Amino acid sequence: MSSVRWEDMDTAYDATSLVRGKGHFVDDIRLSNMLHMSVMRSPYARGRILGLKGGMSSADFKGKLASVGEGASPSSALSIEPVFATGFVNYVGQPVAAVFADDRYRSTDLLDSIEVDYEPLKPVVTIDDALNSGPIHSGMNSNVLVEATQGKDFPDPNTPIVLEDILENDRVSTNPIEPRGIVTDYHNGVLNVWISTQSVNSIKTGLVESLGMNPDDVRVMQTDTGGAFGSKGGLYPEYVIAAYASMKYGKPVKWIESRREHLASTNPGRGVRGRVKIFAALNGKIAGMKGEVLVDAGAYGTGSGGFSAQYIGFMMTGPYSIENAFVTGRALLTNKVPQGPYRGAGRPEASYFIERMLDLLADELKMDPADVRLLNMSDKPFESPLGMRIDAARPFFETAVNELEYRREAKLTKGVGLSFFVLVPALYTGESARIIVKGGRVSVWLGGNSHGQGHEVFVKKLVNEELGVPEDIVTLYRGDTKMTMVGEGSWGSRSAMVGGAAVVAACRKLKGDVLREFGNYTADNLLSGSYDEFVNDETRRSINSFGANLATVEIGKMGNVKVKKCIAYYDVGRALNRDMVIGQIQGGMAQGIGQTLHEVLSYNEDGQLITSSISDAGVPLAEDLPNFGVKIAENRSILPHGAKGVGESPTIGVPTALIRAIEKARGKRLRKTPVMPEDLME
Amino acid sequence: MEDALQLLSKYGDDAKVMAGGQSLIPLLKLRIASFPYVVNISGLKGLNQIVEKGDYLEIGSLTTISELEENDLVKEKYQALHEAAGLIADPLVRNMGTIGGNVSHGDPSNDIPAVIIALKAKLELAGLRGNRNVDADSFVTDSFTTVLEKGEILKRILIPIPGTNSGGCYIKHKKSAGDFSVAAVAVHLRLEDDERVKSAGIGLTSVAPKPLRAVRGESYLEGKKLTDSTVREAAKIVVSESNPSTDFYGSLEFKKKVLGRITEEAIHLSFERAMVR
Repeated sequence: MSSVRWEDMDTAYDATSLVRGKGHFVDDIRLSNMLHMSVMRSPYARGRILGLKGGMSSADFKGKLASVGEGASPSSALSIEPVFATGFVNYVGQPVAAVFADDRYRSTDLLDSIEVDYEPLKPVVTIDDALNSGPIHSGMNSNVLVEATQGKDFPDPNTPIVLEDILENDRVSTNPIEPRGIVTDYHNGVLNVWISTQSVNSIKTGLVESLGMNPDDVRVMQTDTGGAFGSKGGLYPEYVIAAYASMKYGKPVKWIESRREHLASTNPGRGVRGRVKIFAALNGKIAGMKGEVLVDAGAYGTGSGGFSAQYIGFMMTGPYSIENAFVTGRALLTNKVPQGPYRGAGRPEASYFIERMLDLLADELKMDPADVRLLNMSDKPFESPLGMRIDAARPFFETAVNELEYRREAKLTKGVGLSFFVLVPALYTGESARIIVKGGRVSVWLGGNSHGQGHEVFVKKLVNEELGVPEDIVTLYRGDTKMTMVGEGSWGSRSAMVGGAAVVAACRKLKGDVLREFGNYTADNLLSGSYDEFVNDETRRSINSFGANLATVEIGKMGNVKVKKCIAYYDVGRALNRDMVIGQIQGGMAQGIGQTLHEVLSYNEDGQLITSSISDAGVPLAEDLPNFGVKIAENRSILPHGAKGVGESPTIGVPTALIRAIEKARGKRLRKTPVMPEDLME
Repeated sequence: MEDALQLLSKYGDDAKVMAGGQSLIPLLKLRIASFPYVVNISGLKGLNQIVEKGDYLEIGSLTTISELEENDLVKEKYQALHEAAGLIADPLVRNMGTIGGNVSHGDPSNDIPAVIIALKAKLELAGLRGNRNVDADSFVTDSFTTVLEKGEILKRILIPIPGTNSGGCYIKHKKSAGDFSVAAVAVHLRLEDDERVKSAGIGLTSVAPKPLRAVRGESYLEGKKLTDSTVREAAKIVVSESNPSTDFYGSLEFKKKVLGRITEEAIHLSFERAMVR
């Protein structure tokens, strides 16, 4: 690997540089006198630290982790993760101490110089353990981190059909190709940070809070980011340690996560169980739904477990007009790495719970699953008793049934599954954008940072449309808190929507500037001058969208599932770039297949992580993937540029359609992802 | 070879032999194992030949898995070996990994040991005090443990040239491409003129702490005419000889089920192949 100095880096996003091998990732940064950091991690799921010698540890730095980023939610002070384990360890992989050396081999060797004495304690590993054991953190009354209800409880409707089931999604590692990494350099009173992230602003806020620094003294810059899927939006102990170490030693510090560290210590997603009860008439009309959602939050409240417990419940009526609904959500503490957002972050779980029940209802009544679903939809907009607002669902899904050629497929194939869902993008607090026009070029920064989706494509297009300048003079630069003083992040299917809206708003401000100066707006007038506009555009309205998936499978004699067809029909609003939309959907469908067929983080009864490689973690391979079919509906949103969300749709829609297809092919009710071959072998 | 043996004798347990490095390097990289000395034998000459000599096919221990997979003689007469080679990991690993390394590593999930057990091969071990031969089924004694003594290197694998009316195969069931197996089986059958089984060889991968020879399964088949029910019974016996454990690849019960199915399939296929010859 060649040596790259930060000053020499081109900080523009450029997807073509990635395919040419010219990307600038955080591990490409080489600064002089740079130290490499290695982290000593807990080998126990739960234990008391009796003694610790060597390395940097809680004896040197007592800070706590700030909760920032997607799904960050305040939780009890007793459950906040310390930067270094203090007194106790609470999950395998928890940072206990750190060592530094001038290269990575030496810092790894130095780990042997640390001596830690543990008294292992009996860990709380599963959701059931959490319910039945005393609290993992002393001072708490139970392992319930957060308890929240959605909707109002109601007396059980007197319907002939009452169905109840327990449904589960096991934990999934996010597994971006590039694991986490950071370089910190404290220099002249300023902490400079380069990081692989979804949000430079979240990382800055987190570091400022955890280190007790002045915001003006921290600058966070994004490097090319090789995937994230939710796991790179928030703060982690290693980031704070690397920043602290740079200040302490007066040298730059680099930490690059290994894959094994990633599996053990990066917040995984899913890890939920739902008990769902539906009440229905003999014609299939659902009168009520009651749910109980249990989230395996892991060892600390600094992940997104608390948020998930509420958010999943909120969406649990799906696209259906169910008049009575009540959901209790609980996030439970266990001795495992904290749960975090993973592509969908609560949306796939909510959809899984309701869609599995719709299929059960169809089987109970011997109705077609499409018919049961359409019957429970409205021709008018609907606000669910849980507070979710949706457009008229039935017209869209009637079209979807046709577009997916479901009825034809259902006649031909035994193993066919259909799913309908609502995508609720994370629009809240909007997004920031800054545009500088200078020297005949247009430079753009966004508060939410591309981690491989190609934000530069929609930015160039929108600037071209709004300002009439050619796309090739427009550049989107990687995230930098010096350029956007506030901003949110790239997650929750939001970037093209709120990032795009912010770009449009900034362009319109520039237009106003030119108009005031010249009396009329032309692109030439704009490019002849120097302008600098920043907006933080708040979108307060909810803009949800619908999607549907179809999957067909065959099951081999060893219980191996072959996905034959996987087709999407999604309303993406106005597609700002069709190829990018299709690419997003195909990538997400692969992840949806992965979660359904193989992906899981397995822990044994001692809370030890058994999954030890990316192969063990079950990421989908080429052999797992069918030829995808992607169909898109373009119903413009109310946003000025018409976009709707897309990124999370496939991880919501595919698992539910696929598990149904497998269930039909095998003729056996399925309740849990991933579906293992041994559950299917006859 | 002499130098390599000297070094190994000198450093004893401090030294580890490396041929293709496809098992050793990951262990070192992940710091699961560490050795003060690594004796790299990949440059030794004359140990990558595949030739029939006298009653045996001789395969030098430094023959790469790719060379094995692509060898015409192996493809033609030793189908189980050819098939196993093509199912090991991925082409990158096969280009570097050697047959000697695959066997000497003692990994119960490595594929070659089961095949050479089924083929009743002998292993020629080189040492400072001379060479000795051991039977393939007694070479691996436990998980990652072999009969190799300090200062010994596996030099050649000697496979009896199959007689007329014989055929075999290797069936490997894996979760995904490139992975180790959930279970795998090598079968080699030689038939009498009246189609009764004259001799049977059955080797198993991933279903015990070491590669296993299904001795009772073999002797059940010998002297029998193969019908669906004898094959089913043989597979049942083979499964009863296995000793898999529940792990990441599945539960014990699942592995036994898989083993039963692939064993039936492998016996049928071997029989068909033996009939064609």
